[in-house]
Amino acid sequence: MTWSATARGAQQPDNTAFTQQRLPAWQPLLSASIALPLFFCAGLAFIGLGLGLYYSSNGIKELEFDYTGYPGTSNCTVCAEAGQGRAPPPRCSCAWYFTLPELFQGPVYLYYELTNYYQNNRRYGVSRDDSQLSGMASALRHPVNECAPYQFSSAGLPIAPCGAIANSLFNDSFSLWHQRGPGGSYVEVPLDRTGIAWWTDYHVKFRNPPLVNGSLALAFRGTAPPPNWHRPVYALSPDINNTGFINQDFVVWMRTAALPTFRKLYARIRQGNYTAGLPRGSYRVDITYNYPVRAFGGQKRIIFSSISWMGGKNPFLGIAYLVVGSLCILMGFVMLVVYIRFQDQHDEDEDEE
Amino acid sequence: TVYDQWFITLFNIIYTSLPVLAMGIFDQDVNAQSGMDYPQLYEPGQLNLLFNKREFFICMLHGIYTSLVLFFIPYGAFYNLAGEDGGHIDDYQSFAVTIATSLIIVVSVQIALDTSYWTVINHVFIWGSIAIYFSILFTMHSNGIFGIFPRQFPFVGNARHSLTQKCIWLIILLTTVASVMPVVAVRFLKVDLFPTLSDQIRQRQKAQKKSRPLRSRRPQTRRSSSRRSGYAFAHQEGYGELITSGKNMRAKNPPPTSGLEKTVYNSTGWIENLCKKTTDTMSNFSQDKTVK
Repeated sequence: MTWSATARGAQQPDNTAFTQQRLPAWQPLLSASIALPLFFCAGLAFIGLGLGLYYSSNGIKELEFDYTGYPGTSNCTVCAEAGQGRAPPPRCSCAWYFTLPELFQGPVYLYYELTNYYQNNRRYGVSRDDSQLSGMASALRHPVNECAPYQFSSAGLPIAPCGAIANSLFNDSFSLWHQRGPGGSYVEVPLDRTGIAWWTDYHVKFRNPPLVNGSLALAFRGTAPPPNWHRPVYALSPDINNTGFINQDFVVWMRTAALPTFRKLYARIRQGNYTAGLPRGSYRVDITYNYPVRAFGGQKRIIFSSISWMGGKNPFLGIAYLVVGSLCILMGFVMLVVYIRFQDQHDEDEDEE
Repeated sequence: TVYDQWFITLFNIIYTSLPVLAMGIFDQDVNAQSGMDYPQLYEPGQLNLLFNKREFFICMLHGIYTSLVLFFIPYGAFYNLAGEDGGHIDDYQSFAVTIATSLIIVVSVQIALDTSYWTVINHVFIWGSIAIYFSILFTMHSNGIFGIFPRQFPFVGNARHSLTQKCIWLIILLTTVASVMPVVAVRFLKVDLFPTLSDQIRQRQKAQKKSRPLRSRRPQTRRSSSRRSGYAFAHQEGYGELITSGKNMRAKNPPPTSGLEKTVYNSTGWIENLCKKTTDTMSNFSQDKTVK
């Protein structure tokens, strides 16, 4: 019963497929033959994936040590006590001795972990100047206002790098020593400190300002280091490719973490005799304790870890997949029962047709 | 904020406006012919059943649930996450990119579920929005634009780095499925247990399309349409005489006919009639079911 007029009026819309809503279209209907297999397949796939992720995560080995220095936990307590209430805290060292009963499969990664440290605080997170860090000469001596109060030094010089994130650079350092045989001497394990930052961070986002007369120190003339730093930014490392704004530790630190408990890569152990991993034996880690965290109830840890195809040790994703997969299968069964019970009514209607 | 500033700005303008527009313009649940044959389809609109406080509340609950899933699944997965090369990827920017990508995919899948009439334009707008999101994402995280405006685009390198990690995509997949599966399940159960007239007609349409060659077995359908047109146009003489004489009715179903008789002659108002007839149709449906 379509409305067909004998003569077209002036206001009558066109009788095309577009204007009369007759475009060719796919009209899917959510029927049982689509929904039920979908739920069951998705559920089974997710359970399989969850099991794979869970076992993969369980297979990752991790060794961690809390060296914050709360009384009774480690011999870094001395350093923690000495640093209370003084900024910058005095230099102090402590050590951690551990034994590996078997080979720690390589390549081994060394991380430092901080807890209760809110790098995702908004005021903290915007306190940086990306133009200055990208090496633009015009921005070097004109840090942006968000960096305040770490924008200009007490003498009125612009701070490079400005901001609270740069000022709070993590400056503990670690070295690993391996004892060959009982009672033997300790040999240093080479730590590969290169390539710990993202490629784009190191090559694009962070660049040093143009050299003046071939010297980086001259390029930074007229700026001051952040208040909490022991050394100016151009003296962070003797290696010219690892100093200034492109220092790898600095770049890793400037990539702010999302959650209050985070770990950042310190070094990889994959050189020399240790490419296959850390062999069994006794080890010592010398820690230079510079970074004060006890004031805000934070904790510091050092972690040795291996890596699998899905990253570090994190059972959450495997468990979440298992849960969602099981729920899918459960819902599938519920829907199947409902569908079968009401199947009779559907059949009656169809017979009637 | 969790998201990148640019994402928040562009979300409503570019990423999600077009699919909604296409749905508003082109969506049809039943075709024009069925709309004329079954005027009760217009009743939910008249009785304000489709958007009232209850529906709004349910939408809000759905939104809250999706937000919780979108945040807490990446939150749990990002705890001590490390990349495939050992480097850390649990930074704020990767977190933002993961949640933003999951969000775009979830809303696109959601509107794909809600669209029941897929013209070419719907396809282009929905898949195109996702494609536009990814192209804008990679552009904003590219080296070139960082070189021009370093302060405005600090996310350089992020999309390339995090979206090439397998675990990020696993997180996105899990978030999408966890957000969408309850909707699919609820919808399926609702259509199975409490089908609306629109659902029944759509199923009938689909069945008709399938059984088109069996056109010879159509007297039943003709009977039902004459029932409908009988009380749609009650202000005209209509087919009352035809029906009450029982000439085109099957002998074994007198009760529906008498119901019709009552309603045709009790015209106290057009709307009242329509309501009565609708309840009669519904009771006819259920009566037919119980008779069988």
